[in-house]
Amino acid sequence: MVIELNDSNFDSFIKENDSVLVDFWAPWCGPCRRMAPLLTEIAEEVDGCAKVAKVNVDENPALANRYEVAAIPTLILFKGGQASAPMIGMMPKNSILDLMASRGLIPCSKAGVTK
Amino acid sequence: MINADVLIIGAGPAGLQAAIHAARKKVSVVLVGKPENSALAGAHIENYLGVPGKADGSEILRIGTGQAEGFGCRMLKENVTSAARKDGGFEIVTETDEAVRAKAVILATGISRVKLGVPGEKELFGRGVSYCAACDGNFYKGKVVAIIGGETEAAASAELMTAYASKVYWVAKDIAASENMVRKASAAGAELVRAAAKAIKGDDRVNSLELDNGTVLELDGVFIELGAKSSADLAMDLDVMPEMDDTIKVDASCFTGIEGVYACGDVTGKPWQMAKAVGQGAVAGTAAAEWVRANVGK
Repeated sequence: MVIELNDSNFDSFIKENDSVLVDFWAPWCGPCRRMAPLLTEIAEEVDGCAKVAKVNVDENPALANRYEVAAIPTLILFKGGQASAPMIGMMPKNSILDLMASRGLIPCSKAGVTK
Repeated sequence: MINADVLIIGAGPAGLQAAIHAARKKVSVVLVGKPENSALAGAHIENYLGVPGKADGSEILRIGTGQAEGFGCRMLKENVTSAARKDGGFEIVTETDEAVRAKAVILATGISRVKLGVPGEKELFGRGVSYCAACDGNFYKGKVVAIIGGETEAAASAELMTAYASKVYWVAKDIAASENMVRKASAAGAELVRAAAKAIKGDDRVNSLELDNGTVLELDGVFIELGAKSSADLAMDLDVMPEMDDTIKVDASCFTGIEGVYACGDVTGKPWQMAKAVGQGAVAGTAAAEWVRANVGK
């Protein structure tokens, strides 16, 4: 499941979860809509290991500003509260999983994630 | 408002062949697209069965257009600016605001070039360079932006961005969009600059755009919007989800999986060859016409 984050729950969620993939998106953005099913799949595959969340930039401009999001979709990986550099534009699922692996979000001992 | 049984979007070899095959099945066919925008225009073909030597692509398109019209297809040599599912069918609007309503649609849009290829474009992507005004316009509220491109997507984006930005330059050396769209963009406040982009500049973020006439525009964002509305965007408007590489997946009958929607030619993926485009065009045109006759009645 992809978790919806906003201005009020973002900080606490990042604090409580060690590994989080955040998708900055908006409903009118075609490429964002195309990424959505991939992120749902990733959320299931990394369940128990990392969380997958999304932030609607239209409704939460302060968060978009804080992370200097100027194009969507933008993905940011959080590990221990530390944000990665933003990754801009549509990306295939395997590339996203590779990036998650390279930042240590996966694999973990909790889930049977092989990637 | 024009009504058709089968609407074909794209006037390359796939779209024209689809038009011929659909029209011969005695359904009404409208084709919307500009033959000169096909990848075949300007190309030379030497690997097409029965056509020896180097055949002129533009000539093939000219003859093909005549053949399609000869079989009863109505041609609108315009770009599509919007598409939607409507009342159990489909409706598109062209750059001159002509609406076409159809029972089935064939996407034969080809693949579009989106990159401009100027210095700074790749380096500043996501930091002031965008390929989607509809996606990223909101980030440029009260800022100065330029839209690059002379076709319909640039015109639509220039008009759209005036709702967000404090100043919109529309940079185009040649204008291929309809007068109607140019007028709308200008009326909304976009300033047309007749020049080509030479380089996008900035350190951490875009701060200027250099033009081939020596002018440097100080700005915050550059939207690169080449060509017509992309095949991926059109597909999504019709509920067809494109692949990550913008191609549209079809089965052996060129069916997209969405009732009444077919696709053929380069938009379905490689090989980008006229022979494959024509073959798929024949299949898609036949399948769409048969579907209309079987399911909608004729």
